[in-house]
Amino acid sequence: MSDEEHHFDSKADAGASKTYPQQAGTIRKNGYIVIKNRPCKVVEVSTSKTGKHGHAKCHFVGIDIFNGKKLEDIVPSSHNCDAPHVNRTDYQLIDISEDGFVSLLTENGNTKDDLKLPTDENLLSQIKDGFAEGKDLVVTVMSAMGEEQICALKDI
Amino acid sequence: MQRSPNDLSQLQATMRAIELACSSIQMMVNPAEAEATILSFCQSPQPYQACQYIIENSQMPNARFQAATAIRDAAIRELEFSAAEKETFLAEVKQATLGIHGADVQFIGINFLESLVSEFSLSTSTTMVLPTEFHDQCQKSMELEYLKAFYCWARDAALSMTNKILDSDSAVPETKASTAALRLMLQILNWDFRYSKNGVEGAKGRKNVFSARVGNDNNLSRRSECTVVQPGPAWHEVLISSGHISWLLSFYRALRKKFSCEGFWLDCPLAVSARKLIVQFCSLKGDIFHSDNGQMQENHLLQLLSGIIEWVNPPEAVSKAIESGKSESEMLDGCRALLSIATVTTPVVFDQLLKSISSFGTLTLLSALMCEVLKVLIVSNAEEETWSWVARDLLLDTWTALLVPIESGGKTGLLPAEGRNAAANVFSLIVESELKAASASACSDDVDTDYFQASVSAMDERLSSYALIGRAAIDITIPLLTNLFNERVARLHQGRGITDPTVTLEELYSMLLIIGHVLADEGDGETPLVPKAIQTQHVASGESEKHPVVVLSSSILNFAKQSLDPEMRASIFSPRLMEAIAWFLARWSSTYLMPPEETGENSGSGYDNNHMVQSLCSSKALLIFGEHNQGKSVLDLVVHIATTTLVFYPGEKDLQALTCYHLLHALVRRRNVCVHLVALDSWHHLANAFANERLLFTLYSAHQRSLAQTLVVSASGMRNPDASNQYVRDLMGHMTNYLVELSSKNDLKIVAQQPDVILSVSCLLERLRGAARATEPRTQKAIYEMGSTVMNSILIFLEVYKHEFAVVYLLLKFVVDWVDGQIIYLEAQETAGVVNFCMRLLQLYSSHNIGKISLSLSSSLLSEAKTEKYKDLRALLQLLANLCSKDLVDFSSDSTETPGTNISQVVYFGLCIVIPLISLDLLKYPKLCRDFFSLLSHLLEVYPEMVAQLNDEAFSHVLGTLDFGLHHQDTEVVDMCLRALKALASYHYKETSVGKVGLGARAAGSKDQSGQMSEGIFSQFLRTLLHLVLFEDYSIDLVSAAADALLPLILCEQALYQRLGNELIERQVNPAFKSRLANALQSLTSSNQLSFTLDRMNYQRFRKNLNHFLVEVRGFLRMI
Repeated sequence: MSDEEHHFDSKADAGASKTYPQQAGTIRKNGYIVIKNRPCKVVEVSTSKTGKHGHAKCHFVGIDIFNGKKLEDIVPSSHNCDAPHVNRTDYQLIDISEDGFVSLLTENGNTKDDLKLPTDENLLSQIKDGFAEGKDLVVTVMSAMGEEQICALKDI
Repeated sequence: MQRSPNDLSQLQATMRAIELACSSIQMMVNPAEAEATILSFCQSPQPYQACQYIIENSQMPNARFQAATAIRDAAIRELEFSAAEKETFLAEVKQATLGIHGADVQFIGINFLESLVSEFSLSTSTTMVLPTEFHDQCQKSMELEYLKAFYCWARDAALSMTNKILDSDSAVPETKASTAALRLMLQILNWDFRYSKNGVEGAKGRKNVFSARVGNDNNLSRRSECTVVQPGPAWHEVLISSGHISWLLSFYRALRKKFSCEGFWLDCPLAVSARKLIVQFCSLKGDIFHSDNGQMQENHLLQLLSGIIEWVNPPEAVSKAIESGKSESEMLDGCRALLSIATVTTPVVFDQLLKSISSFGTLTLLSALMCEVLKVLIVSNAEEETWSWVARDLLLDTWTALLVPIESGGKTGLLPAEGRNAAANVFSLIVESELKAASASACSDDVDTDYFQASVSAMDERLSSYALIGRAAIDITIPLLTNLFNERVARLHQGRGITDPTVTLEELYSMLLIIGHVLADEGDGETPLVPKAIQTQHVASGESEKHPVVVLSSSILNFAKQSLDPEMRASIFSPRLMEAIAWFLARWSSTYLMPPEETGENSGSGYDNNHMVQSLCSSKALLIFGEHNQGKSVLDLVVHIATTTLVFYPGEKDLQALTCYHLLHALVRRRNVCVHLVALDSWHHLANAFANERLLFTLYSAHQRSLAQTLVVSASGMRNPDASNQYVRDLMGHMTNYLVELSSKNDLKIVAQQPDVILSVSCLLERLRGAARATEPRTQKAIYEMGSTVMNSILIFLEVYKHEFAVVYLLLKFVVDWVDGQIIYLEAQETAGVVNFCMRLLQLYSSHNIGKISLSLSSSLLSEAKTEKYKDLRALLQLLANLCSKDLVDFSSDSTETPGTNISQVVYFGLCIVIPLISLDLLKYPKLCRDFFSLLSHLLEVYPEMVAQLNDEAFSHVLGTLDFGLHHQDTEVVDMCLRALKALASYHYKETSVGKVGLGARAAGSKDQSGQMSEGIFSQFLRTLLHLVLFEDYSIDLVSAAADALLPLILCEQALYQRLGNELIERQVNPAFKSRLANALQSLTSSNQLSFTLDRMNYQRFRKNLNHFLVEVRGFLRMI
């Protein structure tokens, strides 16, 4: 096996890209996909054919990872879809301001102050109560296609 | 009967009250009050005398009717009579049944018997809160003492009405009663005869005391319509030698002539009942016939058949009549009768039956009938189920009953020559009709049917029946298939680029399925041999090339080969056609490609010499695809075709699934084939493409796992272990290097989140997992290296991808499979390394997941997250269980003195990490539940002493889950809990009996904060277990396990056991039961020289005792 055959190099410089092409047939349930320009988590994949002796196509049902809305798409399974670049980062919570913004501590010691509290009631109350009790809280921020949201919480 | 005047006046008063009520209902005067009167009469206790009086004396038919109804209701309500009462009562019923009191009462009498019989048959009895033992006795006495008498009454009743019915031109009241009589007779013949079978089938007759209602399962089988009737020799007189059947047949024949009259028609209840009874007679079997070489049974069947033949013969006329509006029920009943006869005879006897009364055999009739039905099917082509569907399925079942070889008894699927022609005729029409159906459906866009797996399994049963028929005459059917196949291939070529090939493609698809079924059997993981019917049938030509199977196989292989040509592929080989080809090649290869050499030598046993020689000829001819013949070139072709489906059909997941899971798996299943595989260039190319080229990354990731597994398995075909290991290293080395490099990147945190990197990592993990699953002693070393190279990277990825559930799961699953394959081979130092790695993995996972709360934006996402959690936990449990196995099986070369890793410590530590993550809610997932309990029971069995060291919280959690598991529906879970209990209790007993503490305070019970004494764990479990074995429903398989757990529990808590036993005895009201229970309890702990030790001998004795005990007492302790 020679070095020329090595095709696995990761493109470190491509980090800025928001989406990547991926063959529809390889997208699995629980993976990510862009449908109608929204980043979605795939909750259902089914395949069918265009006519009995035609080619396969994939039917995706996705849930928008930011607003929970359901979206659907049908793509020939040998074609490419867009897969979103979904990033999750943990930050320590340092403050909650009165206007509903949070103050987060980044890894390099700066603060990040441009995020609102989540709208999800369960998560919201856990954050508020935990913060009021003086617990050390770590929040996970999910970002994709230029959007950001707090998506999880952990008490350390 | 003597009656005092006082009684008499009272009876008269009752009668008058009832008569009054009846007439007021009739005249609609104060109906509510009248109804109340009758209702209270019906519900009064023991109304028999009054009823009898009314029936004998009242002039009003309605009153007599009400009285008879009241008897019926009361008799069912109050099953217990004194003997004398019973006699009088039954005499009364007999009178009624025979029609002494007129047709109305006769009808009620017969109906009463019908409900009585169904009440006594356990499967249809109502719930009465009486001991099961009582039900059994009722059933036995019913069968031995009454059933035959009831049958005779019904028969006599029917006989007595014959003339009246046949003489009248319209329905008379007797019709109803006569129908009921026939129905009762049918019902009696449906009885599950247990006691009259000369004790030959004693095992079947034995009652299962452990679960309430059994014996219904066999009715659920597809051929439920032909349950064999075996009432035993006592019934010979009544059913066979009395001329009863000829009466029935002539009665129905006479009835047929009256169908044109008013009140009678083909589907009138009387005709239906008569036909059902006739069909039921066709399934008579067993020692009701004298042992005279089946002569008596043949006569019996012939008699029936000569009556039935009018229903189905001549087939064309019958089907024409049905198509033009006649009811199909008689024809279908005729088919059912044929099915029943086929079930109780051999093909030869079956065929002979008709020959003695007509110019053709029964097989010829069957064939003609089937052909007729198929013709109707071809023409009508209806979507919904019509009579022809039902008839086809019935007749197919009949063929199957004739052709399926019975394992013992020497009955084979071989037909007489004439029958073979009949089968061939049917088969050609079958193929025609399937082709017609295929071409009709070719252009329909029906999404439901075009998924390959679904369509095959739905058709599979039908196709298997077709295959049996086809194999009955391979010298005709296989050449036919070859011609039809070649015709279609030629049509494709001619029309290429000119006409739309869809219809022909669909026909070829359908043909490949049929041919696959005819030529080969499903292996189900084993190597299927050439079907016996093909092996043993005489084939005229001795040359291999001309053997019809070889000719057909070659045609298909040649056709499949054309898919390698890009132009042909584009114009002809649609994904769906390739699916059929891949499926066919997989099935065909397992049987014919490089078969194990000894085929044919043993297969002839049981046949005469002549057959043996033929079978050898036939299988020798088929060796043309063997290793020393064309085998290698065919194998090469198959590999090329498989690669083609993976490379040139992008995104065709279903096709590729067939290739990966069926075709390639079939190739590497046998080592002799692997030897040739690894020598092929085509295989080498496939392996190389998989290891080094981007292209195969576009396969679905689970398919990649399977492919990796297949490729690693094929390494067993290398010359020696070193070569095999090198093969695996070459294959997997690149992939592990990539993972290691990636995990050591400085900017991993950023890079790792890119979708393409996630995809690559996922695919590689799947591949590694596939390779790990293929671990064999021969390749173990290379696969160990593969895993240990990435151990560190795995931990890094677990941290980086902690939010990517899908990747986390793949990481865990890889480790599970890798440890599973490796652990038993590892040396002490390697073991320490792997165990240490697993602990770090567990800790890391736990630190990410305890106390985490996620966004619950959408309920479906939330439930997804729960499922993911469950899958992760299951993987962790499997990991722990795999680690455990090191203590049981160890192939390492270390001597036992080397201080190894203490697995028990490690696994307990692991369990403490995992337990907080497992809730009772999660245990509702059946697979997780099994895994959890198998781990738990294993731990408690092997290391009971560790339980004492658990902290309180973990300890009570463990016990809580045990209690939960004991009441689980899954037998295996209960069994595992019982084993765990046995281990705990016997450990404690053994320890304490040598003066140690055992489980100490935990066994003794304790005071909680409020000062209340709570019982020790063994007391609690003794109660629970006793209740379980005595009163609850469970599988009979659990009795031994329950005995093993119960014995040490009793020994640990002897005082409590005595107390519980006494309580049980005191609770019995019935003195007979009381003493039986006391004796049974006594012998449970004393018979068979049971002692106070816990050795194997003693456990066995106690198992025996408990079994006896339960059989003795559960009958009256449990209420149904």
